[in-house]
Amino acid sequence: MTLTATSFDWVRALVHKESAIVLQPGKEYLVEARLLPIARQMGIPDVSQFVESVRSRPNLDSNRRIVEALTTNETSWFRDGDPFTALTSTVLPALLAARGPNERLQIWSAACSSGQEPYTIAMLLEDALPNAAGRVSITATDLSREMVERTKAGRFSQLEVNRGLPAPMLVRHFTRAGTEWEVAAPLRRMVTASECNLATALPRMGPFDVVYLRNVLIYFDLSTKQAILRRVRDLMRPDGWLFLGAAETTLGVDDSWERVVVGRSSAYRPLKGA
Amino acid sequence: MSTVDTGERRRSGESRPVITELIDGPTIQSIAEDAWTALVGEDEILMPLPGELPGNVLSSWVDVVGPWTGTVVLTTGRETAAELTRALLGEHAPAELDEEDIADAFGEIANVVGGNVKAALPGPSALSLPDVGEAPAVRNPADLCRVDVLWRGEPLSISVQGALPALPVPSQH
Amino acid sequence: MRALVIDDSRAMRRIVTGILEGLGYEVQQAGHGREGLDVLDGGWLPDLVCVDWNMPVMDGLQFVSAVRSNPAWRNVTIMMVTSESEHTQIVRALAAGAHEYVIKPFTADAIRDKLALLGLLPQEVAL
Repeated sequence: MTLTATSFDWVRALVHKESAIVLQPGKEYLVEARLLPIARQMGIPDVSQFVESVRSRPNLDSNRRIVEALTTNETSWFRDGDPFTALTSTVLPALLAARGPNERLQIWSAACSSGQEPYTIAMLLEDALPNAAGRVSITATDLSREMVERTKAGRFSQLEVNRGLPAPMLVRHFTRAGTEWEVAAPLRRMVTASECNLATALPRMGPFDVVYLRNVLIYFDLSTKQAILRRVRDLMRPDGWLFLGAAETTLGVDDSWERVVVGRSSAYRPLKGA
Repeated sequence: MSTVDTGERRRSGESRPVITELIDGPTIQSIAEDAWTALVGEDEILMPLPGELPGNVLSSWVDVVGPWTGTVVLTTGRETAAELTRALLGEHAPAELDEEDIADAFGEIANVVGGNVKAALPGPSALSLPDVGEAPAVRNPADLCRVDVLWRGEPLSISVQGALPALPVPSQH
Repeated sequence: MRALVIDDSRAMRRIVTGILEGLGYEVQQAGHGREGLDVLDGGWLPDLVCVDWNMPVMDGLQFVSAVRSNPAWRNVTIMMVTSESEHTQIVRALAAGAHEYVIKPFTADAIRDKLALLGLLPQEVAL
């Protein structure tokens, strides 16, 4: 193993800063194993050299890939709880009151990863609304084609469904497929997945009533964060709701949002006239 | 014994699938990998390579009874079983491991792997408590799916084997 | 907060106990359902029970039914922790009154996530 203590410490600090996740000492082997494929993809033969090259020439894309490679096992269902319970307790009733009976509600999961977030939303809506599939569309996007394909397939391993998915929801909304669990067809039909790079001009989508943009802004610098929030806002209804990650806020980034407390978390709504 | 072919044996043969029709090596491999990464350590790797089992081996197994009936058997060298026990227990491992510790841990791994193999088969099926010792014999070589891996360089085999001997071939008239 | 860990495997009892103690629980152990009921009968009421399915003497499903049919124990949350992972088995467990279900193999994070869902994560750890 080539990973030096200095390199490991730098990686630990980066991961902690970007994701609040702590890599314990003793996880050097994990860092080595997870970063080696990325280093090789970039034509660098070992992890320490790769880390040193990123340290000496800061590169946001490499930072993002490093953090993702070390934190992807954090993907869980109902991540942080409140932003999802808020959907059924507060957001949905408000939207149903504000919209006409035939108006389709549109929800965007803007960093859908392997699909836990959009299907968490689908399950909640299926349980809360009669004919959810007729009333709601869920758009799921991710930068990675592989993640988009995983979201479309809606199949998860035993270890993945153990992560924060209530057992009653597992049995109601999934069927077994070999060693995996597959999201039931009606829920898969509610979700449309596609590739999307938030850091560039966005395709025509929405307008969205609710956007989940969770744990993705942290990978970008201030001006890109601002650009992304502007683009997201442009695709939202004026009375829409935006949910960010547990450690994220628009404060200090974009003052055209109003922070609203929902349960023990916050939502952000476009400020009128801003 | 009657040699009249009533067709009964052929018909009952159709409802007795052999394991190779129900599961394959890569599926068993992935079940074992999930068990190892979750319980032994997330960096643990099972290399799908054959290795020669030492003379002194230990097996643990669970029985599955259902549309398919048989046994899921784990076999490895005694030293490897001890190492596996220590790795499974982690910080809770006692300074000295005894036979009971090893049988208990190796049996539990058979329970975890066996339970998940069972769930990949047509059900509903029942799962027995684990047993440890000398592996049950293979009753029907055609009703067998076996995966050989190397864990930390040591050989370990996972054998999913049918309980019933092969049906005799009906005689021709 | 108190937890009772019931599994016929001593290794598994140690692992689950370790995870729960790390989360701030005071933990007792039992080797099968009947021993588990003896702990409850003795007056030591846990907030949480983690119980395996396949055990000698009294299995986990029978334990769940016994606990859920006793009104004195209605505040005990039961989480099955088992390699039984057929869809029908999980339905049976939930129908018998188990509140949650963790499939073996599990990680410490999986247990933690389920406890968070149940509101059974001691507050200092939740941050």
